[in-house]
Amino acid sequence: MTTTAAFILATFTVPEHIGVTPLSMLWLLPLVAAISIVYKTTKLPKIRFVHFVKESVVLFGSIVIFMVITALVLCTVAWLITE
Amino acid sequence: MAQSSKEGHIAFLLTVGLAGWFVPGAGHLMIGEKKHAIIIFITIALTFAAGLYIGSIGVINPVGAKPWYIAQIMNSPAVAAIGRITATGDYPVYGRPGEIGQIYTSIAGLLNLLCIVNAVYWAHLQRTGAFGE
Repeated sequence: MTTTAAFILATFTVPEHIGVTPLSMLWLLPLVAAISIVYKTTKLPKIRFVHFVKESVVLFGSIVIFMVITALVLCTVAWLITE
Repeated sequence: MAQSSKEGHIAFLLTVGLAGWFVPGAGHLMIGEKKHAIIIFITIALTFAAGLYIGSIGVINPVGAKPWYIAQIMNSPAVAAIGRITATGDYPVYGRPGEIGQIYTSIAGLLNLLCIVNAVYWAHLQRTGAFGE
């Protein structure tokens, strides 16, 4: 028990290895999910499971799509400037 | 009489806000919104824990990253205890893990601030009888 607790605590004292790669951008997805869930929790006065999940998923998708569009626009601008 | 009622109302709102700061979701629990409280607690605690796991407790840095620390401390006063440990500089973190860890823990704090404001607002509406209109 003590060893397990010590092991769990130790994992919080050393950073994980995450490279600067395009795949590291995927770390934004859990964060967007958390934002969507908490935001919808504060907006819905009554929580019904199906409705809540649907609302959260729609918000999650909207944020991700908007970020992809923003990234594409920024890439295009950078390409136009550098070419 | 009306003055003491007003003071009691303000004290209740302050208690709700402080409860929500001490434990994410506790403000909603105080006003009887159990489902909201559970969802808020799990989501914010997981986001904060994920940030600490990715970047280590070194991402809470009250000395070198004060603006981030202000957002992080919105999670709970317990963050200050972690800040005291890391202020010594024994847990350095750099690069992408540091960035991601800081973003996760800070966003968790700001989300909790949103929940605190929401809980206080709902508490006010409940007391004034305007909730659900």
